Amino acid sequence: MSLRWKEAEAPVRAADRADPVSQRFSDQLIAVLPRLRRFARGLTGSATEADDLVQAACERALAREHQFQEGTRFDSWMFRIVQTVWIDQLRAREVRKEDSDVPEERLGSDAPVRTIEARLALAEVRRAVQFLPPDQRTTLMLVTVEGLSYKEAADVVGVPVGTIMSRLARARIALHQHLETGGASRRSVKNAEAQ
Amino acid sequence: MQKHSDETLVAYLDGELDGAERQHVEAWLAADDAARDRLTGLAQSADLLRSAYGDIVNEPVPERLIAAARGETASEAQPRAAEILVLRRPQRSTMTMPGGRWGIGIAAAAALFGLVVGGTGSYLASGLLSSGNPAAEQRLAAAAANNTWLDNAAGYYKLVVSAGDALTIDVAADADSREALQKASLPQTRWPDLKPWGLNFRGARLVVVEGRPAAQLVYTTENKAIGPLTLVIGASKQSDIQPTFDHRQDVNLLYWRHQGRAYALVGQTDIGYLWGIANDVAWQLDAI
Repeated sequence: MSLRWKEAEAPVRAADRADPVSQRFSDQLIAVLPRLRRFARGLTGSATEADDLVQAACERALAREHQFQEGTRFDSWMFRIVQTVWIDQLRAREVRKEDSDVPEERLGSDAPVRTIEARLALAEVRRAVQFLPPDQRTTLMLVTVEGLSYKEAADVVGVPVGTIMSRLARARIALHQHLETGGASRRSVKNAEAQ
Repeated sequence: MQKHSDETLVAYLDGELDGAERQHVEAWLAADDAARDRLTGLAQSADLLRSAYGDIVNEPVPERLIAAARGETASEAQPRAAEILVLRRPQRSTMTMPGGRWGIGIAAAAALFGLVVGGTGSYLASGLLSSGNPAAEQRLAAAAANNTWLDNAAGYYKLVVSAGDALTIDVAADADSREALQKASLPQTRWPDLKPWGLNFRGARLVVVEGRPAAQLVYTTENKAIGPLTLVIGASKQSDIQPTFDHRQDVNLLYWRHQGRAYALVGQTDIGYLWGIANDVAWQLDAI
């Protein structure tokens, strides 16, 4: 075999990692990253802030790896960490109301090709989410976007199921009213859903 | 009352009511047009919400997040130029051949690859870092873009491994490859058949690399020592390069560019095996 590389530059294989538990933990974390990014995008309304939030959540998760209980849902555990870090950040910054009014949107060059009209409709929805209070926004993302049950969302947020139910209803109605009155037209909605 | 009704409607939509409650709501809906309209509106806005956030999970995950998930600092995650090595042509007499077709493949590939000038010299070597050299700066910029491309290819591979059977396949193995590849801006490309290597084509995912559509072909095998392999094919405006080995995010990559296409074969198997498969891919696609 003539395929060679210098000994000093030989790659380190995954199996050589000292701690197999950490490797597995990291793999779980990497697998859930796309959903964490989506959840964080819903919370912050900004692609950059969302990734910063997920990165901070990853660091906190690795520091608390021992607290994760095998047999429980890893994604829920991570959602809870993301939400907790976000709340901490909000408190630390003492966010002013207008901060949440100008969400950075990335309709990006890397999104699948869509009609401009449909893009605007979807952007309108994301903007509407940013007008919701943080607790309603969190609940809406966990249940309606991430598909958690009320009980699972209650565990993530640390509130009774009844609270989730009322927060979710308020969020869904506010979102619906926003879209009905000032938001996307029926036609745009139809186009967006057809994509 | 309205608040309670809205909560009930939302919970009904979410499937959170028990049998008796559901019956109660359905009776209410049957008798109340306004409630039905409200239910329809709430369902539509929920669908739209899911659509608004649906694509985010298909975006490439930034390298810094994958590094963070692996407990690496940003500096550790930076690819090292010294790891990018140009491969030499394999010796025919020492190569393991898994199937009859390989004999044709290696012969064709041997003719096509040629012996790389510079042997073990790095792709990034020779004057690249000398300041005030426009050509070197241009190559540095190309290398930086290349690193991101490879990071994405490795990241997408890790997602395939992590997702396992739950992996979402955009294009089934028996689908029309031309149509799918056109969506990935890759007309006149085919699915390589790697069955002689014990690899079954599971399907393709349409991904985004460097802001451009690309195809990630997923091959699986029962042989855990080999594990899944992916082949990422994307459009490229950069100049052709010979097959080059890299290693990042704990996976091996063999990549090359040829006539406006960038290819990255990604797996956890050893580089010799990847090399053989790359030759076969190149031969099938006439990519090199």
